Amino acid sequence: MTLQRIIDGQSLKSARWYDAKADAEIPVPVLGPDLVDVRRIPEIRVATLSGTGKEEPVPKSLPSCVAAPAVTPEGGRRELVAQITAAVGAGAVQAQGDALLIAPAQAVAVARFLRDEPSLRYDYLANLTSVDYQDCFEVVGHVISTARTEKPLALKLRAPKPDPRVPSLTSVWPGANFQEREIYDMMGIRFDGHPHLKRILMWDGFDGWPLRKDYLEPYYEEPGKMFSSRWKDGHHQRAEDRVRWHDNVQYPAGWDPITWKPSDEETAPPADNAGVSVQRGADGDLLVVNLGPQHPSTHGVFRMKVAVEGERIVGLEPIMGYMHRNHEKIGERNAWIMNFPYTDRLDYITSMGNNFGYAVAVEQLTGAKVPERAEYIRVIMAEFTRVLSHAWAIGFLLNDLGAFFTPALYAIEERELILDLFEMASGSRMMCNYFRFGGVAADLPPEFLPMATALVRERLPKAIDQLDRFLTRNEILTARCRGVGVLTPGAAIAHSTAGPVLRASGIRYDVRRAQPYSIYDRFAFDIPTATAGDVYARYQVRLAEMRESLKILTQALKELPGGEIIAGKRAWNLRVPAGESYGRVENPKGELGYYVVSDGTDHPYRYHVRSPSFMNLTVLEQMCRGHLVADVVAILGSLDIVLGEVDR
Amino acid sequence: MALYGWELLRGLGITLTHFVRSYVRGTGRPPHPSPSSRPSPLRGEGDRVRGEGVRQPVSQDGLFTVEYPDERLAVPERFRVIPFLVYNGKGGEPLTEAANRCTACGICAKVCPPQCIWIVQAKDAATGKPKPKPSEFSIDVDVCMNCGLCAEFCPFDAIKMGHDFELSGPERQSSHIFDMPRLAVPTERYAQTHPIAWAEEEAKRAAAAAKKAVAAQAPHPNPLPGGEREKGEGGEL
Repeated sequence: MTLQRIIDGQSLKSARWYDAKADAEIPVPVLGPDLVDVRRIPEIRVATLSGTGKEEPVPKSLPSCVAAPAVTPEGGRRELVAQITAAVGAGAVQAQGDALLIAPAQAVAVARFLRDEPSLRYDYLANLTSVDYQDCFEVVGHVISTARTEKPLALKLRAPKPDPRVPSLTSVWPGANFQEREIYDMMGIRFDGHPHLKRILMWDGFDGWPLRKDYLEPYYEEPGKMFSSRWKDGHHQRAEDRVRWHDNVQYPAGWDPITWKPSDEETAPPADNAGVSVQRGADGDLLVVNLGPQHPSTHGVFRMKVAVEGERIVGLEPIMGYMHRNHEKIGERNAWIMNFPYTDRLDYITSMGNNFGYAVAVEQLTGAKVPERAEYIRVIMAEFTRVLSHAWAIGFLLNDLGAFFTPALYAIEERELILDLFEMASGSRMMCNYFRFGGVAADLPPEFLPMATALVRERLPKAIDQLDRFLTRNEILTARCRGVGVLTPGAAIAHSTAGPVLRASGIRYDVRRAQPYSIYDRFAFDIPTATAGDVYARYQVRLAEMRESLKILTQALKELPGGEIIAGKRAWNLRVPAGESYGRVENPKGELGYYVVSDGTDHPYRYHVRSPSFMNLTVLEQMCRGHLVADVVAILGSLDIVLGEVDR
Repeated sequence: MALYGWELLRGLGITLTHFVRSYVRGTGRPPHPSPSSRPSPLRGEGDRVRGEGVRQPVSQDGLFTVEYPDERLAVPERFRVIPFLVYNGKGGEPLTEAANRCTACGICAKVCPPQCIWIVQAKDAATGKPKPKPSEFSIDVDVCMNCGLCAEFCPFDAIKMGHDFELSGPERQSSHIFDMPRLAVPTERYAQTHPIAWAEEEAKRAAAAAKKAVAAQAPHPNPLPGGEREKGEGGEL
């Protein structure tokens, strides 16, 4: 402790190896938007504010916004509106098509009614996001009932510009916690009553609300692709040569990175990021430890700020955003089809599944009829993805338990061959980019079916049995995993967990059954669940799901019909009819949803990804409290997060 | 729960089994080519070497190690890395404007998700009018995300996805911008590396040419609305 205090008090400049002379020439990078020379910040600020720092000034005319959609007084939800009006009061809700437009003042009361009314029981908040319209911000939520199988109910709240505020729904659906923080971070909508409203993906010293339509990102060129500099007179130019300051990032007035301290002093690490700090005023046993961002257990760049008392966890805060690239902003600059390769890069283990979700969401708007053969190919690809993702999850859970890499590599042996299949069909092992609106990109090559059939019939069952035989009764695995990270069914629903995490807590909910998309209603398969809700249960559910996937694969490979693989002509400049849709698929990690709004042009007006990895982290603290530090690693491993999808 | 350590022994047993089997299985596999018989991995003149490829058969249990770079994985035909431009000709023949299949229509640049394709349309030297040919065509391979949309939507079969994945270089400023000579690949070479796609495209072109010949003999010679494009496709041969 004494040593730690000495280390904490030291400055970088007092270190023996610190060369003050070198400092004058070589910039000292600090943590920031990019690596920024801190001495140039005043200069950059002046330049970005006055607009003189760039060779190409920011255009005055901002991307056009669609007008806020009108309220239709008589929608398809008349009964529901009447029911809510009777309970909460007149004027609380209006129907807008299939959605409910809720008056912000009564939002919490309406939400509570929707959740608690026995005939409704909308207990699960699947998705929460927001849209920047011309005259207002709209917060859009999608709620479902885990007991019923139906389409999600869309809820909308409107917040006026320029200072948007709406009440927080975290008291009704705790799963709104991270999503509201994300909306605040990305669009600057404040949620009154949120317990911990602060930036989640961006860093605290960041200025601006990136997903607002008037925010222009670094290296901004034009409102949408394609950029006119590329064609007809496309002399190559590097992005950094185009913009003098290399980025358009603005710094809040008065913000100084050297004196800046993170806003949450309570558990903040010391300013020099030494890693471990002794909390002031506490007895000597309470420590704040940073697990990550560079830590093998986090499977990427992810940080857990853990408060420990001895070896026991008393508090944990997941900190993310290290790999944030504003996928959604990129998506809104892209033409519709360009988003397929970008979705590959969300959860890069399951790119086929990501493609699937996006295709489903957009096809709801275009109404494309997918040919039979393409539907079967889609299901085959999605189920192979599930097998390899779960094999990966189980293998790396063992890694997290301390069996370094040997069992993990044994577990992902078969994944190689599945990737070979993806490669021969799509041309790439991981970044498949295989789905298209109305079908798939290319037909299966002739060698695909024999290999896929051999895998499904012989190799994969054998591999799964082997995992089962080696692990299920393994005394070390059971000792480390049973009773660790228990998530009760109520908490699992309330916190909007999804996929194997939800089902391991005993909730039989699977999008493939609840709202069958594609042709999942044709296949016979079970939804495996477990009751314990611990790390071991999640392992069991994943193992069982791999077997169910093989059942689907066997049926799909047998029934695979011939014919077309894509409906109609392939369009590279597709225009999507105006409207909005929330398309969701059961990805290996859980419910993957895409909320897209089209204004009838060739670019999405709004493109949002409901990522299961991100949402499952909402409940991480609750699962970890009271356990040992080593168990946190196992619990995080059992959530099976992929940072490409968490940070987006 | 009491731990007796049996599982440790069992785990060691599993590892030992893998270890032994890695020596036993796959012994019938053909030996990899000796270094001298391997094609040179050096690039240049649009010559992309696929290498002596090996691929794990599904019937062979376990996984075998590919001893890269003495061996390399045989890549499937659809494997995609960096796009290249196809021109009509044999290996060694220079890229001429007439042989270039590209018409500078710009669809690849428009559909490119990271916007890494840059095209300058050629202008007629005498009249200054734009011609349907590119005078510059560059791809920033640092930005390319290997998605293959350019090749998928090219109406003239002029841009295709290459197999060459050994692209690292000592610097990025000049060598990572692939210009037209660097991107150009003759049809002869393309037919070797992509035999299936080549055969399909040739069959399609032959069918289009036959259709056109029938249409030319027909009594009313009104050109169809799509005639211009068919000419572009069929006229390449």
